[in-house]
Amino acid sequence: MASTKNRDWADDDEGDDVAIELPPPQTIQNKDGTKTTISYRLNDQGQKVKTTRRIRLVTHREVVNPRVAERKHWAKFGLSEKDGAGPQMDTTSVAENIIFRLSTNWKKDTKDEAKDPDANAMKDKLKDKTVKCRICNGEHFTARCPYKDTMAPVGAEGAAGDVAAGMGDDEQPGVGAAGAGKKGSYVPPAMRGGPGGSAAAGERMGGKYGERDDLATLRVTNVSEMAEEGELRDMFERFGRVTRVFLAKDRDTGLAKGFAFISFADRGDAVKAAAKMDGYGFKHLILRVEFAKKAA
Amino acid sequence: MRPILLSGHERALTQIKFNPDGDLLFSTAKDQQICAWFSHNGERLGTYKGHQGAIWTVDVDPTSTMIASGSADNTIRLWEIKTGKCLKTWEFPTAVKRVEFTPDGRRLLGVTEKRMGHLGSIVVLPIELSVDAEQSDERDMTIVCDQSKATVAGWSYLSKYIIAGHEDGSVSQYDGKTGELIDNVPIHELDMAVTDLQWSADRTYFITASKDKTARLMAARDLELLKTYVSDTPLNSACITPKKDYVILGGGQAAMDVTTTAARQGKFEARFYHMIFEDEIGRVRGHFGPLNTVAAAPNGKSYASGGEDGYVRVHHFDKGYFDFKYEVERERENRL
Repeated sequence: MASTKNRDWADDDEGDDVAIELPPPQTIQNKDGTKTTISYRLNDQGQKVKTTRRIRLVTHREVVNPRVAERKHWAKFGLSEKDGAGPQMDTTSVAENIIFRLSTNWKKDTKDEAKDPDANAMKDKLKDKTVKCRICNGEHFTARCPYKDTMAPVGAEGAAGDVAAGMGDDEQPGVGAAGAGKKGSYVPPAMRGGPGGSAAAGERMGGKYGERDDLATLRVTNVSEMAEEGELRDMFERFGRVTRVFLAKDRDTGLAKGFAFISFADRGDAVKAAAKMDGYGFKHLILRVEFAKKAA
Repeated sequence: MRPILLSGHERALTQIKFNPDGDLLFSTAKDQQICAWFSHNGERLGTYKGHQGAIWTVDVDPTSTMIASGSADNTIRLWEIKTGKCLKTWEFPTAVKRVEFTPDGRRLLGVTEKRMGHLGSIVVLPIELSVDAEQSDERDMTIVCDQSKATVAGWSYLSKYIIAGHEDGSVSQYDGKTGELIDNVPIHELDMAVTDLQWSADRTYFITASKDKTARLMAARDLELLKTYVSDTPLNSACITPKKDYVILGGGQAAMDVTTTAARQGKFEARFYHMIFEDEIGRVRGHFGPLNTVAAAPNGKSYASGGEDGYVRVHHFDKGYFDFKYEVERERENRL
């Protein structure tokens, strides 16, 4: 072990010759009559594995017929010829413990058992529940709600209201706004009042335009790839003041993706524009203009 | 209860037999080996090699010196238990589905299959109970089953009768000396084969298992139906437990339908019935396929089951098994 003294601790990993030296197996006699054996071995990766076993030896004495006792010493033969004494790992193993209880009303017991743990609990849980839409509280799944695209979920509306209230009162910190209703509950980022007063829009995309008035926003589809935001703005300015033009563009190619949003300051202008521009030919394509739906 | 799992076979088990002392266990499967095991710890003593086909059956002589086996290679072979040496081979025109020693071990019956123009038959061979003795090629007698082929057969008390179960669900009684047909009783549903026949300790009554989902307890003397055990699955095997008055039934969805059934639905469980009250009192799960064979140890302390999954499971009973009693049994004990 003198070599280990000279070596830096960091070198220890490289010194394979040290790792191969396995400590001899130990057997410790415990006070409670059990024995602890500690043995070491190397695994496939050359790592040292320490195995600690606690063994309690119980001598089970059984009186058997001398014939039976003699048979226990018979030499093994056939496929077991080379096996050592005792049960072999490859042919004999001990299976999981089975709870085996005899009972006269066995059938009834197991039936109750089969029902109880899962099926019944779940049934009880769902007994008083009916399907309820999160948007309109109607008796259908949320995904099937006819107002899915036009209304925010019931709870969310309340939260938005809270936010609005918070906005009125400038002194109130933004984060607390939504939380005011349900203290301590999680508030999704979109529902949190931003500190800069951007309010309900939160961190939603396009939040920089302030609370977007979806009522006066048009969605224009079937827009030519060659279209430019300026061109669209020029086309729609004719009907009234356009507050925003958004043309979706591919990030890599810079070409238009084929749809755009035009926000008007006034809803009346938007209605007019939608009526006139729907079906308008623009760069070989016929535009389709409709009111934008609220993002679901 | 922790079962011992014996995985010495590569194919479905066909029969398990304990020797009369209950310390050895012999298992046969559709692979071509017979395995001998120590029943108390599941250690394999050895294998008996020589058969060229699926082995259908095995039996141990009363002195635990020899075993006989019947196989699909149309032979019955006699082996020395201790060394695994084949002592004698008898050839037959068709496969041998069942062998059984007489209670004194001097004769051996074999049930041969009906096939290729040969009728099913029960043959009786004389046995010299010595490892060194020359075994005779002569047959003591041959019973030809011209009605419906025999699937299982066994010797009653004192080798007085040969009781055979048939493919059509009937059980017949032959004279043990002359081979004369004494009685034939349709006991199971028509054309539901009797799949197993095992004896009580004194061989005065026996249990039959059938594809008609019932097992029946019958008296050997007059083929009187004593008890009926109704289950919900085709049965492959049934045995009577010594010490306690129970019967164990094994079965399950037929092997060919297994892949289309879930393990739970397949009913691959050993079922315990009370022998006298005919009630089902418990089940033991564990096999992944139908149980082809069940056997109770002669000392009544354990039982083994062999399944289509190729495993033998040896179960040593817990204390609760021996303590279980019906209310009426308890009351009666208190009165005494």
